[in-house]
Amino acid sequence: MSHTVLVCDDAIFMRTMISDILAQAGFEVVGEAETGREAVERYRKLKPDLVTMDIVMPDMGGIDAVREICKEDPDAKILMCSAMGQQALVVEAIQAGAKDFVVKPFQPSRVLEAVQRVLG
Amino acid sequence: MDLSRYAALFQTESREHLGSCAQALLEWERDLKATEPVVTVFRGMHTFKGMAAAMGFNHLTELAHRTETLLDVVRSDPGSASRELLDLLFRIVDALEAGVPEAVAGGDGKLDFTPLLDELTNASAASAPTGSWAIPVREDRPAPAAGGGRLVRVVIRSGTAMRGARAMLAIRKAEALGKVNTIRPPASTFEQEEFDGKLSFRFEGRSSDASLIAAVQSAGDVGSVQVGEETAVEEPGRKVERRRQIRIDLRRLDALMNQVGELVVAKGRLSELAAVTDSPDLKAVAARIQRVTSEMHGEIVQARMTPVWQVFDRFPRMVRDLSRQLSKRVAFEVEGEENEMDRAILDEIGDPLIHLLRNAVDHGIESTAERKKRNKPAEGRILLSAMRDRTSVAIRVKDDGQGIDRQKVLAKAVKEGHLPSGTTTLTDDQLLRVLGRPGFSTAKSVTDVSGRGVGMDAVLSKVRALGGSVELETAAGEGSTFTMRLPLTLAIVRALLARVGDERYAVPLAGVAETVEFNPVLVASLEGKEAFVLRQELLPTVRLRERLGVIGTRPVGKAPTIILQVGERRCALVVDALVGQQEIVVEPFDAPKGMLPIFTGATILGDGVPALIVDPAALV
Repeated sequence: MSHTVLVCDDAIFMRTMISDILAQAGFEVVGEAETGREAVERYRKLKPDLVTMDIVMPDMGGIDAVREICKEDPDAKILMCSAMGQQALVVEAIQAGAKDFVVKPFQPSRVLEAVQRVLG
Repeated sequence: MDLSRYAALFQTESREHLGSCAQALLEWERDLKATEPVVTVFRGMHTFKGMAAAMGFNHLTELAHRTETLLDVVRSDPGSASRELLDLLFRIVDALEAGVPEAVAGGDGKLDFTPLLDELTNASAASAPTGSWAIPVREDRPAPAAGGGRLVRVVIRSGTAMRGARAMLAIRKAEALGKVNTIRPPASTFEQEEFDGKLSFRFEGRSSDASLIAAVQSAGDVGSVQVGEETAVEEPGRKVERRRQIRIDLRRLDALMNQVGELVVAKGRLSELAAVTDSPDLKAVAARIQRVTSEMHGEIVQARMTPVWQVFDRFPRMVRDLSRQLSKRVAFEVEGEENEMDRAILDEIGDPLIHLLRNAVDHGIESTAERKKRNKPAEGRILLSAMRDRTSVAIRVKDDGQGIDRQKVLAKAVKEGHLPSGTTTLTDDQLLRVLGRPGFSTAKSVTDVSGRGVGMDAVLSKVRALGGSVELETAAGEGSTFTMRLPLTLAIVRALLARVGDERYAVPLAGVAETVEFNPVLVASLEGKEAFVLRQELLPTVRLRERLGVIGTRPVGKAPTIILQVGERRCALVVDALVGQQEIVVEPFDAPKGMLPIFTGATILGDGVPALIVDPAALV
């Protein structure tokens, strides 16, 4: 059975790109979220194997969403999607419970390496 | 046992130990009651003796042994050393240094140390050896850092994005197994982009070393993980401990470097192919090879890096001897000797530095009487320093002497036709160029020390051959500073590829300030020559096409222009087209006779076509 993924990003472009990369590698994208609040709600409902999380999103950012999700499910496997220059935020997200991160611009190989690490 | 295999090792290691003896003798000379230097000389002599004995070099062994015996006596009675004794020790170290290569060449039996041995006998207060071979052990190991548990040292791979975040992940992985404390550097550092990817922490938990290492590695992009105590800890604020290294025959590294050079060329070709392919797999492989190759290159360059003290160490002694010979008082200081550069470059800069230091002592620093007259401290100062920035090392020789006499140089240069008559001023830069003319010297008489007029010329050409540049700052009565700017490493450099006619040429990026469009409207005249106006600055213009004598017509109108910069000097280099950037492997170069002196070497481009490498320093 393929792994299920929830993709959280406020940009459709990024969601599409990440979904494509993951779908091509055999993952099943079961849901998308545009805001941190949506991410938390969908996670509760869908219980996906993996979450990709943008850092900057409206209505609750990615880091707060990570905190919320991990409070309910400490084993949640969350992969942060960040841009150059956001190192401090990524460090914060990891402290909040994120399991790995990738840096934009995404190289599919790097994304998949990180996903493999997160899913162990 | 075939000892010849060890000869090279013996030679390098001896040099190191005798070098540290000489260094310690200098310290000892400054304070005859000091005990630390005695111990250092004793230990160096003892180690050297052991190695010489193992090689079967009996004459070297005997001299070292007798010296050690004497030192043992002195050691037990600090303060008994005299200047005469130190002079003798200096001469012994010199004799041993000179004897090493001879012995290695098979001439140990011919070494005659009788006079020195006789002096040793006379100097020995107690003629009988004490029989104590015990080596004082210096307590190098620092107190264990606060917090218990195993020490874990992690290096995040260089070139990785967000190494700090990676480091934080590594710590989280370890925390999943047990307790983590004493994180160094503090975790707050991880948020900074400058974090260099090296961290350590202490781990308390039941997990085995192996599973701990596996956990940390699962953070991704981890270059290395080591569990266990360090043998020597570098503490900030303390003088940097000279690191012990394993010895590898330099030829091995050179061979490896050449192979990596080949790999870089092949990688270049692969990247070109990947750029035009539709296969995402090929693109991915090419990108991966690209990353691995540059990491590999980085590692090998790192392995060839050698701290500059290996060359600097001999200078305190040289300056001391020189200043004595010239009856001058000179305080010699060295800074930044822990900075590292490529062994191949380091080996080449000894001679230029000797020239600069000799000049500083001989021509720079005034006599004590003269200095008093000018209200300067009686003791002159010479500072030798090494400073590293991202792509180069600046090595500086600074003295507080009389400075270079501009008018004298000017007069002589005009008289000898190096400068047009009527020239009345000389900038520091022009001054350096005049001094660098072959055979130019203003010294009234040729002394034993310097002033034969070969110095500056040799310095400039050597540094240029290494891809570096020299700068001069001098002020009358205040002193002179010579700065040699050298690349960190030879062999592989990033270059801008430019096309002229059918040929491509490589311009090392280190000499490129920027690229602009050449606009014929913005051409002015500078001393009768074509000059390009760039943001109100007049730049001498070199049209590469014309300089090379390329047949055919230049594309009309605007043309790409590379602004070259070496030190403060700039010029505009007009080419037909810019092709792109590439890592190139610099091949040693014997310029054919009659070739334009504007090339430093050649390289093979990714597609197998050779290209010449332009020397920015020759054009500006």
